[in-house]
Order: sequence, then structure tokens, then C-alpha cells
Amino acid sequence: MADPTQAPQEMVTVVIDGKEHKFPKGSNLLEACRSVGADVPFFCYHKGLSSPAVCRQCLVDVKGAPKPVPSCYTPVADKMEVTTNSPKILDVRRQMLEFTLLNHPIDCPICDKAGECSLQKQYFDWDAKLARNEGIKVRKAKVVDLGKHIVLDQERCILCTRCIRVCDEVAKQSELTMAYRGSHQVLTTAPGHRLDNPYSLNTVDVCPVGALTSKDFRFARRVWELSTVPSICPGCATGCNIEIHASRGKIHRLVPRENPAVNKFWMCDEGRFEYKAVHENRLLLASQRGKRAPLESALAEAARLLREALAKDPSKVGVVFSALASNEDTHALARLALDGLGVGRCYLGGRPLGWSDKILVSADKNPNTGGVERMVPPPLRTLEGLAADVASGAVTALLVLGNQDLALEPGKLCALVVLSSHQGPLVQAADVALPSATWAESDGTFTNRDGRVQRFHAAFPARGEGMPAWRALALLGSKLSVDLAYASAAEVFADAATRHAFMKDVPWGAQSLPVLLRFGDSRG
Amino acid sequence: MAADELRSEPAARRRVVFGEAEVSDFDETNDLPVESMPLRMGPSHPAMHGTIRIALDVEGEKIKTSDIQIGYLHRCFEKECESATWTQIFPYTDRLNYVSPMLNNVGYALAVEKLLDIEHKIPERAQYIRVVVGEVSRIADHLTCLGASAMELGAFTVFFYLIKAREWLWELLEEISGARLTHSYVRIGGVTADMPEGWAGRLKDVLVKSREAIADADKLLTNNKIFRDRMDGVGIIAKADAAGWGLTGPVARSTGLAYDVRKDHPYLVYDRLDFDVPVGTTGDNFDRYAVRLEEITQSMRMIEQALAKIPVGPILIDDVRIALPTKRETYNTIEAMIAHFKLVMDGIHVPPGEVYSFTEGGNGELGFYLVSDGTGRPWKCRVRPPCFANLAILDKVLPGLFIADVVPTFGMINMIGGECDR
Repeated sequence: MADPTQAPQEMVTVVIDGKEHKFPKGSNLLEACRSVGADVPFFCYHKGLSSPAVCRQCLVDVKGAPKPVPSCYTPVADKMEVTTNSPKILDVRRQMLEFTLLNHPIDCPICDKAGECSLQKQYFDWDAKLARNEGIKVRKAKVVDLGKHIVLDQERCILCTRCIRVCDEVAKQSELTMAYRGSHQVLTTAPGHRLDNPYSLNTVDVCPVGALTSKDFRFARRVWELSTVPSICPGCATGCNIEIHASRGKIHRLVPRENPAVNKFWMCDEGRFEYKAVHENRLLLASQRGKRAPLESALAEAARLLREALAKDPSKVGVVFSALASNEDTHALARLALDGLGVGRCYLGGRPLGWSDKILVSADKNPNTGGVERMVPPPLRTLEGLAADVASGAVTALLVLGNQDLALEPGKLCALVVLSSHQGPLVQAADVALPSATWAESDGTFTNRDGRVQRFHAAFPARGEGMPAWRALALLGSKLSVDLAYASAAEVFADAATRHAFMKDVPWGAQSLPVLLRFGDSRG
Repeated sequence: MAADELRSEPAARRRVVFGEAEVSDFDETNDLPVESMPLRMGPSHPAMHGTIRIALDVEGEKIKTSDIQIGYLHRCFEKECESATWTQIFPYTDRLNYVSPMLNNVGYALAVEKLLDIEHKIPERAQYIRVVVGEVSRIADHLTCLGASAMELGAFTVFFYLIKAREWLWELLEEISGARLTHSYVRIGGVTADMPEGWAGRLKDVLVKSREAIADADKLLTNNKIFRDRMDGVGIIAKADAAGWGLTGPVARSTGLAYDVRKDHPYLVYDRLDFDVPVGTTGDNFDRYAVRLEEITQSMRMIEQALAKIPVGPILIDDVRIALPTKRETYNTIEAMIAHFKLVMDGIHVPPGEVYSFTEGGNGELGFYLVSDGTGRPWKCRVRPPCFANLAILDKVLPGLFIADVVPTFGMINMIGGECDR
């Protein structure tokens, strides 16, 4: 499609199925047809990739052309007359499907793609004729270990080459290729090479059938049992838009969600495994000095400890923010500690820097550094500084958000209150540890490396006593006579938006409840 | 008919039957005053088939007021349907009027087919089979109603005769569908299986045997003074009320209202069959008994005609978007495998729209109101259960009768909990 940032485009008039439409000159004909409701199917075309026109499924009639043309490969031209639904084109479409199905294995019951398979959908929509041939199918390799995350079933492959183009054009590492010709043609890696680029799992997403499967998701769950909510990857500061696919309180996979301004259609392999931590090593119940305590008494004890520390010497009380926490949690903590309790020593915790590339991956492995830095007034000290401050006695009481990787000298603190979603040494050492929800279990926003505030939605409620940190902080506030009467994340967000310019014009948006994939369209 | 008139009618007729007006007539002013007493029949009561509660206020033996309380068998049928594929609803329909599941199967299938606009594509053989199994089911329904009502009035032998005939019929339905009671035999686009070898002949034989059993019951019952005394002039419903309250089926026809969906709005191949619609004259319990007895005869006529006319051919529509492919094709070709998968997992994609389709069920007009949003599951599935409307008038009929009249009157309405409460 045309680039919207360029000067006004020359418009051309195209007749599609008898109706006149105007499109920018040079637009892709397939996109043009689909944008006006002419349902032209395709396998090999992908909005984020180049068009090779190999699947022949998008053939349409263009007046004057001797044969049907692949619309994915044809730019619109002025006075073009296109037919997408004539009996001839429908027959062409059906015949192409018959070819595609000729050697397709009878795998639906054991295929991970079944239920979100483009081939299934298109057969039902455009063919729906029984086989004319019960002959023997061409046999190919069923289990090809392509790389660290991917398994290939060559029989299921319909040779659309989308995965090859993902490697070429997105990951910029051309590991995949087609070998042999005709019915012997197979997808493979070059001899001695493996599919191990950092974006390899995007090939599974673009695969229209179940040829490429993720080792992680393979045989884990039937797709129609999954429900989806829109979310943001917490793996780094890029903030790739994703969908959480979960079933009964357990995430089974993360897949990218289209956002042209951030991640287009893609996400990195590392980000896809961010969900594992949601289910591992969780802090589910409140505790006092390592022992399980009722939530109410833990809150009261935390309030007592903080009140006493503040009464002794307010300048020796510190608060640790987390670059992994949402804008809402950060705002609630800032309102409680800075505005309400008058704490002045702020520290920023989070994950250490890591590797990066020029495609999607950021070196900052925290999703919300941008948000915390904009919301908390400087100076925002580091965790290394905190260890030294505790050792020197400059800090004697701490309110910590997040499971920070922090080794503190024992016996130096008179109060350590930790609000964390996970178990860890700091939680073990805490006077009071309060459980909080992870990004997957709460509504909120992250501010990515470009200052873009992006919304994520809860896929399911937190287990145990876990609750969004802003809510726990509001409860703690009520015990410390700090009024943080927030009823929802939306209210925290609205309050934050009145105080911070970077959030001002960002809409909170509607609530997305989990939707069963069964009711979605094919994702292929 | 005014309520007072309705109340006085049984007394008037009872005078004629007993011939002793002075003894049996009930004089409200001169009789000893009795204290009103609440009497609650059901929800667990031997005569309350299904589960229903009738809250009566009686003065002595006489019913002053009645309150029919339904809902004890509510199973969220309509809501459940919204999360089942169009095909998965068949087993649910079996459990509407569970005495004649085939008729529910057929009624539901016709509604979906109307929404799919494939009525004209249903193979003729399937249409005849649907008529045959539907009428067999109707006979079974009527036999149950008559047999059970006779039993409740003490005629246990008649119950055995009629239920024996019902069992022969159900054995045939089991043979064709695989299940004695919950058949789930009909499919959108046709039926699941053809008639087994020799089935039609066995059905004809069973009809002959059943006729004998029914004739025996007829001899024992129809002119039996005890039976007639309990039935004649009891529970009278006026023709105008029948129309006004939306009554259908044998209950409406007993009042003289000759409404039969099969005749007035023919579906399937009913317009090619020769049959009569029996009607009553007074609308009392005996008329309802007599109408059902005659309808059994008419249904047998229809079955015999249909079996004579049934053509050879397919029994399911030829469209993989609607009908499951055969097992052989499914296991051996990817096309049929995909179709099978999509039909089972996604369901038939019914175009968006709404439809009301109605057929003659065992108890009257069985209607399905369906709304599709284009997916494989209904957006809404509403049933018009005939006995819901039929039962509603009972509140009006019971006051003025005796407690003992509740049993035959309720029995002749033939409320089926599965259908009424859904």
C-alpha cells in the first residue's frame, strides 16, 4: 500500500466487481479488492512481506489481460476493470485449492494448526467439493528439526515461501530455502545451517498451515480452547504489541499483534518466552518475616513499620521503583511514597542491560523504564547506590516494588516492605512481603523506548492473594492515612494523566475481555 | 366463554350423566360452609408427570382457585443452544418433548434448513423418512398420554396394552436410530441413516399388532362407565378460548378448532398424504381422549401411504458445508477430513438472519425461532413449546372442578416438563 507520509498521491479509478473505487496509484490490487469487501483469498501474500505470487490463490480477472492475474503482484492502474467473483474465477480458485490439497496429508486431528488453518478455511469457503482422487499422496519428512524452536512437517507445507521471506526480510538472515522441484519440492535449510535467528518463531505465525510448529507450543493445547487478549511484551523497552493466548489461567503462547508504528507484524523469540515467568516461582500469599500472615495483618504491620521509620528519620526512608512495573503501579507508588509519606530517596530497579539489534530488540530489558523516568522526579538512584546507602546507614527503611535482585547487608534495615509478584531473596529477607499481580494478570500501560504509552489487558485474574500493585498500595495508603481511593486501573491512569504531560492525550481505551480464538478468524 | 359459565358447565353435564340432579348438584349457598384449605399437588406427585406444582385452594372437595407453577424442569435449553453448534442441538431437542423426540428433531431441522434456504434441496427420501418416523413418534406420544391417563383413573390393564404397543414402535425407532428414546436421528439436510433392511415391513406388521392392542384398549375404555364419568364434561375448554389462549394440537382440536399445522401449513410431504383432522365438539377431557385415539389411526394411515410412496435415493443433502462426509472419505481424503473437522469444530455456517418455523408436534404447534449471526452456533434459539400454551389455560379450567378431576384434566393436557420448562 502507499506510504501515507508522502505527499498526496495520485488517485486512480478502478472498477471492482462492477463498482467504481478510487485508490492511490500503485496500490496493491489484492489489498484494494479486500478493502472494498471483495473477499480475495491468498496463501503466499503477507502484508508485511514482498509478494512472490506463488500460490495463485488470489487470481482475479483484469479486463484486457489474456489470463487471470495474481492480484497480490499487480499494482492498480487507472481504468482497470477487475472481476473477483465470476464463475470462471471461482472455478480457478477451486481448482488451485484442489491442486494444493492433492498431496496434503490427512493430519487435521493431530495438527496444531487445525482450527486456525488458512487451508481449512479456504477449502470450506471456496472449494467444498469432495476429492476426485483417493490416490497415494507424496510422502515427505514428517519431523524435521529445523532449529532451536522450530519443527517442520514437509508434507503439510504448501510451498508458499512466507517463512523464507520472513527470514530474508525481517530477520535478514536467509537460512531457509526451497529444494527440488515439482511434487518433490520441500522447504529446508541450507546444508549445515540451522534456523536459529532471533526472529525464527515468526515463521510459525506466518505459516498458513501446520508445517512449521513451535516446539514450545507443539501439542500443548488445541487452539480453539485458547482465549486471546491484547497485551504488550514485557521483555524489553521496545514494547512489541502482542496477544496473550491463555486457557484456564495458564498462558500457552504469546504471538505478535499488528502495530505498524512499533513492531509491524513481528516479535523476537525471546519475547515469546516471557510468559513462562508468569507461572514460575510466584509469591501468592502475604508473609511477615518469612512466615505466612493474613493479608490484613501484613498490611497493618507494613504500615506500622513505615510509620515508625518515618517518625524516626524521614530522610532515611527509601523507595524502590521498578522499570518492570506499569505506569499505574508506578504512579500509585509515587503518590503514596513521595506525595503522601514525603519520602525523598528514590531508586530504580529492574533487569540489567542486555543485547540489542536494529530490528526490534532493545538493550534495556525493562518494558517501562520510560514511564518510571518520566513519572518520578530526579534523582533516581541505582540499585548499586542503594546497597551502599544501606551499608553506610544512609537508608534504614525501604519500600520496594518488584522482586529486585538486591543483596542487602543483613541487620541494617529496621523496615523492609516488599511488594512483589515473585519469590526471591529480597522477599525472604522482607519484614513484610505482599503479593502482586504480573503484567498478564492486570490492566495497565507501559511506556516504551519512544515514549509511546501502550495498553495491556488482564488475561486472567492473579492467583492467591495477588492483586495489581496499585491496589495493594492503595490498601497500604489507607492504613497510613494517605487517600488513594482508586477503584480501577483506569482511575489510576486518569489521575496520572492529569499530572504527567506524556500521558495526557493517551486514551485509556475500552476493556478487552478474553475472547475464545474459536470465535476469531483464521490467524494464518 | 365467561368464567362463571365455564364453571357451571361441568355441573350441568354431570347432572345428565348421573341422572340424579338433586344429589350430585352442588349448591354453593345451601351447602354447609367449609373452610378454604390449601392443597399443593407436586412437584413430586404420582400424577404430576414431569415435575410441576399445582397449588390449589379447595373448599371440601371443590377447587376454588388453582395456581399452576412450572419451571421445575428448566434446563436452560435455549441458553445452552447458544454455545452448541447447530448440529449439537439435536440431542437437546430430543429432551424437549421426550415422548416424541423425532418430531422435535424434525421441527428443529426444518427451522435451520429454512434459515439456510435449502428446504428444496432435502432429498425426497429423507423427507418421507422424516414423516414416517415423526408419525411413529406421534403415535407413541398419544399412546403414552392415553395409557398413563387411563392408569391414573384405575385402568391399569389399558396402560399395559398401550405401552406394549408403544414399545414395539420404540424398538423400531431404536433400530433406525440406535437409541430407544433419545434418537438424535435427524440431521440438518436429511437424516443420519437410511431405513434398515426390512424395516418398512416390520413397521407395517407392528402397525397391525398395535391396531389390535389399541382396539382392546378402546373396548375397555371408551364405553366404560367409570372412565366416562371421570372424563365426560370435565375440564371443558371453549373453542373461542382455545383460539384466544393460543392452544394447539389435540387440546385445541378437542374444542372443535380444526387447526393442524400438517394440514394448514403443510411441510415435508404432508400435502401428498391423505388424512383427516379429527375435532371434538365440547372440548372436555373425553373429547381430548377421543381426538388422540383418532389421530393415532390417522397417523397410521399416513405411515402406510408414505411407505408406499417413498422413493429410492439419497437421505442426506449433497453439500459438505452442511452434511458430514462418510467415514471412508473422511479417513482417506484431506477434503473430507477438513469438511468433517470444520463441521464438527466450527459447525455449519448458517447465514445471518432470523426464522420462525413451526411443525405439528405431539402436543401441537412446535415452533423454533432461530437467529443466526453467521457463525456455527445460533445467536438465539427460542422454542415455542405447545404444552406451555396448552397448560396455561388450566388455571382457568380447574376452579369449580373436584380435586379428583385434576388428574384426568391435567393428564389430557399432556404437559411434558422437558418441553414446557425447557
